[in-house]
Amino acid sequence: MIDINATLLTQILNFLILVAILRWLAYKPVVGMLDARAKKIASDINKADEDKKAAAATLAKYQDELRSAQEKAQEIIERAEAMARDERAKSVADTKREIEQMKKNAAEEIEREKAQAVEQLKTEMVTLSMAAAGKIIGKNISAKDNESIIGDFINKLGKEKLGDLSC
Amino acid sequence: MGEIGEREIVQLCGLSFNKETILMTWLAMAVVILISALATRNLKIVPTTWQNIVEMIVVWLHGQIDAMMGRRGRMLAPFIVSLFMFLLVSNWLGLIPHLASPTNDINTTLGLALLVICLVHVLGLYYKGMHYIAHFFQPFKIFILINLIEEIAKPITLAFRLFGNILAGEILIIVLLQLVPWWMPIPSVLWLMFSIFIGVVQAVVFTMLSSAYLSNVVKEEGHE
Repeated sequence: MIDINATLLTQILNFLILVAILRWLAYKPVVGMLDARAKKIASDINKADEDKKAAAATLAKYQDELRSAQEKAQEIIERAEAMARDERAKSVADTKREIEQMKKNAAEEIEREKAQAVEQLKTEMVTLSMAAAGKIIGKNISAKDNESIIGDFINKLGKEKLGDLSC
Repeated sequence: MGEIGEREIVQLCGLSFNKETILMTWLAMAVVILISALATRNLKIVPTTWQNIVEMIVVWLHGQIDAMMGRRGRMLAPFIVSLFMFLLVSNWLGLIPHLASPTNDINTTLGLALLVICLVHVLGLYYKGMHYIAHFFQPFKIFILINLIEEIAKPITLAFRLFGNILAGEILIIVLLQLVPWWMPIPSVLWLMFSIFIGVVQAVVFTMLSSAYLSNVVKEEGHE
């Protein structure tokens, strides 16, 4: 029952072969897989950290950009408002000037018309006076005397009567 | 199986081999290799059911080895896990009719025990050098006798514990089958169930004692 023979050495050899096969077939792949997973998890965690940092940086950048854009927009609005204000003031001034010009023109026109009317009145008065005088005197005086007499009269009349004539 | 303990011997190059033991060893090896191959094929980064179980075993084993032996013990992990699987399958093989356990042969168990003890001494010399030899003489030179007996007893106890348990189990199965009439299978079935348990226990005991012997020489000095 207990007979030790060459089977002992065979069994040692068999077992060593089994260890070698199992090591190659099962143990190494499993340990390799565990290591690979540990590495992957570590690298994933690192990557996640980096991504988080990058995301924070991007967020900060965008916030900065947003702030500067808002500032720029504010500036543009202010500039536009100032421009509109200037424009309005300018147009108001223009209109005022135009009105002034129109008033002045109108006054000049009135003045001119008045002068014209006075002149016309004088002429008519001369003619009428001549006719009247001719009838009254009944004789014709020389044209030169005629004109001077009438001119004097008119001038006197102009100073005394027409001077009060309101326009 | 004819007479209990009678073995068919094959002569080869003037050496005698126990035919049944070697054939059964190859069968056990094939089963172990098949199980390992099935369990570890198609490994993925994200594990599935089987891979989870295999990884759990490997991680647990690494934890045990790290606790018992330190970092240097990791290289012994394949040896220990192979030892356990081979012994378990071998012990259970004898419970199948017409098959026998390779471990019911003292050649197998003594071979494994001697392999473990040789490994212990080789690693002891490799890692601790002369200090390893010196520790047999401590605290007094006379202790070499006790230590020597202990070292010789280690492989013998390892080998005979396993061999005795498994051979006795198989003998009792045969005895029960012949003693008890065919319509009364309960004792044989009970004994068969107990033998399954014994197979596990003996595989665990052999593996644990081997790891304990190995851990003594492998663990670092400051670790003790």
